[in-house]
Amino acid sequence: MVKKIIVLMILISALSAENIYERNCIPCHKHLPTSLQQMFKEYLLVYSGEQNVKAGIKHYLKYPNRSISVMSELFIDNFGIKKKTMLSPEELDEAVNIYWEKFKVFNKLK
Amino acid sequence: MLVSKNRATNSLLKSEKKSLLRFLALYTALVTLLIILLSIFYYQSQEKLMFSNQRAELAQYAYIQTKRLKVLHYFFPERTTYPRDPRFKSAIYDIEYKKIFSVLENEDIHFDKDIYITHKYLHFVKLLDTYYLGSKYLIIEIPEDTVWKKEAWKQIVIGGVSSLILFMIFGLILARLFLKPMRDSIVLLDRFIKDTTHELNTPLSSILTNIEMMDTAIMAEKNRKKLNRINIAAKTVSQLYRDLTYLTLEQGQKDHKEEIELQGLIRDRIEYFTALANSKRLAFKLDMENVIIHADKQKITRVIDNLISNAIKYNKRGGSIGIKLRIGVMEITDTGVGIEEEKIPFIFDRYMRFNQSEGGFGVGLSIVKKILDEYQIRIEVYSKINEGTRMVLRW
Repeated sequence: MVKKIIVLMILISALSAENIYERNCIPCHKHLPTSLQQMFKEYLLVYSGEQNVKAGIKHYLKYPNRSISVMSELFIDNFGIKKKTMLSPEELDEAVNIYWEKFKVFNKLK
Repeated sequence: MLVSKNRATNSLLKSEKKSLLRFLALYTALVTLLIILLSIFYYQSQEKLMFSNQRAELAQYAYIQTKRLKVLHYFFPERTTYPRDPRFKSAIYDIEYKKIFSVLENEDIHFDKDIYITHKYLHFVKLLDTYYLGSKYLIIEIPEDTVWKKEAWKQIVIGGVSSLILFMIFGLILARLFLKPMRDSIVLLDRFIKDTTHELNTPLSSILTNIEMMDTAIMAEKNRKKLNRINIAAKTVSQLYRDLTYLTLEQGQKDHKEEIELQGLIRDRIEYFTALANSKRLAFKLDMENVIIHADKQKITRVIDNLISNAIKYNKRGGSIGIKLRIGVMEITDTGVGIEEEKIPFIFDRYMRFNQSEGGFGVGLSIVKKILDEYQIRIEVYSKINEGTRMVLRW
């Protein structure tokens, strides 16, 4: 019994250690052949600056549509359009901010 | 009678000089402005020419760098080394003008221009259609080519100076044309005076000699007064005659310098003008010391005569004339009508007369100034309307 409680506690603490991005984005994307890093570069190609990229991602997550997707036709044909996000605006902001900070190009070139 | 222009006519009057200087100043300012404007247009056209020459090369560099950025974009983050080229420096900025990466020497970037010079570097701003690594702006930098600038400045200096010289010559010709009517009228007046002066000498000498020879003691009082008036009139004409003769004939002659005892000379000239002064009931107030100067007696006599005769002519009836003589200074004061302050600088101009009530040609003070200048004697004029005039000679 004690063992079960300890395992449960470890599981809860592990879950709470993950951030909103890791909890809500990675689980779905890890099954896709295109990484989140690659998708970020697709957003950069289209939207360029931080505010533009973040706004583009948020808009797509709220209103997913083939016509505004940054991914190729082939990708969409194979994997379809994602479902509308269930996150609150604040959660979405936080997730997108984490995503930006993780993959942004600034200070990474040398 | 053929009369050539004399030296006095050739030299410019003060009013002529003033007009000429004003014209030249205005003309020079306009010409300079024109040259500056033309120089600016020339410099800008040369700069544009240089930009158009450089643009093709810089566009080529931008194209190369874009291709490299494309490669980097697809291999990022495995590859993070920004592409560099020895021929140029570059930088990438996102759509919000945030620097993504830069190897520029000069970070002063003008995103609103496609090509420009900043702090000795030439920048070419290329807007990317595909934002590799988020780059909207690609800036290509090369050191500024200074050869065109040196050449342009050389052309501006040479062209500017030669145009200025050409325009100034043209301006002087214009100014001469502009002054010609004024000068022609002076020459005409000179010629007339010179011609008539010759005809005055003989009758005038005859009148004065005969007046001197007359025995006034046996004359009736009435006739003596009449003779006195003739004497005054003849001396006035004689004074005018001598001035005109000096102007037209004597001033070119050689200087006969001698030691002149000024006090004696002044007393002689006062004696000469006594009849004229008495006619206006003027009193002479003399305060003189013995002063000797080294000059041409005829010329100094002309100076004294003119100053005394002016002091008499423009004095009030019953007024006085003061003459003070010290070493290096002579003052002649009258209690006459005075001269307006703004007209004082022009009183030595030839044919300049401020009081039409008295006769004359307006040449007296012009002669005085000419002679004084010859001997480096300064003249100062102090005058108050209706109070009088004080002429101070310093040497």
